[in-house]
Amino acid sequence: MTTERPSLEAAVVIVGAGPAGLACGLRLAQLLDEHREREPRLPAKDSIFILEKGRETGAHLLSGAVLDPSALDRLLPGWRERAPIEAAVADDAAFFLTSRRALRFPITPPPLRNHGNYVVSLNRLGKWLGEQVEAAGLTIFTATAGARLLFGERHAVIGVRTDDKGVDRRGERKANFEPGYDLKTPLVVLAEGPRGSLTKQLLGRLGLAGPNPQLYALGVKEIWSVPAGRMPPGRVWHTMGWPVPRSMYGGGWIYGLAGHRVSLGLVTGLEYHDPGADPHVLFQRFKTHPFVRRILAGGEMIRYGAKTVPMGGYYSQPPAAGAGWMLIGDAAGLVNSQRLKGIHLAIHSGMLAAEAIFDSWRTGDPAAVARTYPERVAAGAIRRELWTVRNFHQGFERGLFAGLLNGAAQMLTGGRGWRDPMLARAGHLRMQKLQAAPRHDWSLQPDEQLTFSKITDVYHSGTRHEEDQPPHLIIHDTDICNTRCIVEYGNPCQHFCPAQVYEMLPAEDGTKRIHVNASNCVHCKTCDIQDPYEIITWVPPEGGGGPNYEGM
Amino acid sequence: MASEHATVLVVAEHRGGKLSAATAEAIAAAQQLAAPWQAAVHAVLLEGAAESGLAAQLARYQLAGVLAARHPALAEYTPEAYTQALQEIVSRRQPRAVLFAHSYQTRDFAPRLATRMARALFGDLTALRVEDGRLTVSRPMFQGRLAADLVVPGEAPAFLSVQIGAFRADRAALAAAPAPIAAEMVAPAAPAAAPEAPFQEAKQAVDLTQAAIIVSAGRGIKEAKNLDLIRALADALGGEVAASRPICDSGWLPMDRQVGSSGQTVAPKLYLAVGISGAIQHLVGMKSSRAIVAINKDREAPIFEIADYGVVGDLFEVVPALIEAVKAAKAGG
Repeated sequence: MTTERPSLEAAVVIVGAGPAGLACGLRLAQLLDEHREREPRLPAKDSIFILEKGRETGAHLLSGAVLDPSALDRLLPGWRERAPIEAAVADDAAFFLTSRRALRFPITPPPLRNHGNYVVSLNRLGKWLGEQVEAAGLTIFTATAGARLLFGERHAVIGVRTDDKGVDRRGERKANFEPGYDLKTPLVVLAEGPRGSLTKQLLGRLGLAGPNPQLYALGVKEIWSVPAGRMPPGRVWHTMGWPVPRSMYGGGWIYGLAGHRVSLGLVTGLEYHDPGADPHVLFQRFKTHPFVRRILAGGEMIRYGAKTVPMGGYYSQPPAAGAGWMLIGDAAGLVNSQRLKGIHLAIHSGMLAAEAIFDSWRTGDPAAVARTYPERVAAGAIRRELWTVRNFHQGFERGLFAGLLNGAAQMLTGGRGWRDPMLARAGHLRMQKLQAAPRHDWSLQPDEQLTFSKITDVYHSGTRHEEDQPPHLIIHDTDICNTRCIVEYGNPCQHFCPAQVYEMLPAEDGTKRIHVNASNCVHCKTCDIQDPYEIITWVPPEGGGGPNYEGM
Repeated sequence: MASEHATVLVVAEHRGGKLSAATAEAIAAAQQLAAPWQAAVHAVLLEGAAESGLAAQLARYQLAGVLAARHPALAEYTPEAYTQALQEIVSRRQPRAVLFAHSYQTRDFAPRLATRMARALFGDLTALRVEDGRLTVSRPMFQGRLAADLVVPGEAPAFLSVQIGAFRADRAALAAAPAPIAAEMVAPAAPAAAPEAPFQEAKQAVDLTQAAIIVSAGRGIKEAKNLDLIRALADALGGEVAASRPICDSGWLPMDRQVGSSGQTVAPKLYLAVGISGAIQHLVGMKSSRAIVAINKDREAPIFEIADYGVVGDLFEVVPALIEAVKAAKAGG
């Protein structure tokens, strides 16, 4: 059935109200305010659309996080007095964990030194940035997802279609059906975060990638309320070693927040060999280490969440812009995987994008952005930072110690290391089949006090979706799940998904079939990334659905 | 005209000639709220011109009075007529608070009523108290994960609707002598839209919130056909069938039978959880049940932590035995 869609013209559409998208919008508003009087023909603010699939700005933002303030100092001088900050980093340390002990590094490795940085909640910071954006006169269209890109001649992007509302699980219209809008625009800024759905659509269609495929890690996080004094605000601890097996990349964090709360989590690289690997289990185990258990004893888990992070670095960056489109933030792979920092790079890139866009408006040549924005990125702080760590994550392909050795070599050679560029294979292709793979123990019996089942954790992510809607996790051929994958890999989706979306359940004839609990989904994108057959596509569910990462 | 004594109004809900179960809960809440204010509690009944006996039922409770507002325009529930009639009554009586049960019907008209009177409606409340002379209410947030305490601003009246099951209907105090019933004059205009006969979905429409006994099935029943066992137990007990999420997700029962955070919240006298593990998403939908019985072969299942009575056993053995026992008990007298 063809749908009549309302169509609107926009000067620019920014997809995603995370730090990158909000920085882009805010910088545009600042520039428009500065120059409006002298140049009255600049676009009106209401022709700038910012789309956000979460129910409110910040709802889907999750990070540790320790923020490098350099970008916000540029965007909003004086932000330290006004923005919500948990604490300035007071002390930091790194630990190597064995199953029973925690060995403190005598010297905190330089990338993990955070003096001068700030412990923040990305959710709260995002909300605050959203308020600044709205105060500057732009509108953030929350609960509105970018469903599809619109293409014109020769694969130029000419707009974005937003999600249809009110479609039932069979694809039929419900009483509250509202078609999505076609936002026609000369420029779409994709700020969707890691593994964005429109970004994937774009790069796939245009056949674009960096020299290396993008590599990802999955961060699983909880916030706990703990007795006073257990983890003072501003204490930043990082761990490596136990419980992450030596052949896998991963590490933990524990940050002291304000108000007797702790942010803690575990990041697991999504390039492991063992198809049974379960990052959620690793995180739950992490909490049982005496070192961590001591901090959490007598406390209460408040919130849970999970999200992937792009780790490939410089050589995994796709092209930054093209005909009618630009990529900023995590969608562009702008994360320093060595320092585990990307928020400041997201904000920088959003600002550079805004400045390039603004210049193109003044010169009357929107297409120029495809050239000028990448030039600005290449000439500036973003590239300088990512260049020095350009081979960092690839160095871990052979495990933890190899990675540390490679990392040390790179630090001594300005990032070059043994080989430059160090190539990498896509993470999901490194998963080995059941017979060949190393097997680790992934069993966990949660006590529901310190450790939790995925189901309990999902509850604490505040995740809700309109139940009666088409499933937003599209498995292109479930026969592969039920007949091939079950034999070859043992259906790893059951293990790598931190929200128990995927289950193999016995059917009436005794065989096991894939069952999708789409409404558990926390929008982390792990399944889209890690499925070895590449048959899962994550698309945005009806806007407004998803987690509620209050305080995360 | 304001009276010297504070007044609290509680709006009764009825359908098909019977008071809803939640009305008694709202009366209990109103009585509790009125105590620190030493306020007089009046029940408000809106009905058609014909007397029905509902007022007499309300009069059994410990109330200062029953205000029976009878008018042809109120014969069938419509949001406009109820809003207008209540607006008249509230303006005239100037209560400190107006209480409702947080039912679907309340959600249909009460926000409109509150807005017309330039107030907010505090809905889905689980607790009410007066502290330092201020009215403080609690409501759940994030699907019951947090309880938010809200202070109701000072200007009367406050519009409050209480969560189904949050207050105990059997705590609504009864009076030795019936409360006085007074006719309350109202003149709502005939509503613009005449309601049709109440919509009855095909026989599966069920309002689990009205059921006194619920037998609920979880994944433990393994196959759709085993629901017959659950139905047999429900029939023997005279209760309704419900289910946890996976059962409804698989289409074995319709969505209106689902209990839990994405289904209905129920608080029956007796809730039997059969083959239900007790994930938190399910618990929030039934934990206020008066008595919870759990049958599960996994002794570590979380459901046993909130069950009043638990049977660790195979439901395919326990349930048939239970059915026989129930039938025998009912036959015996």
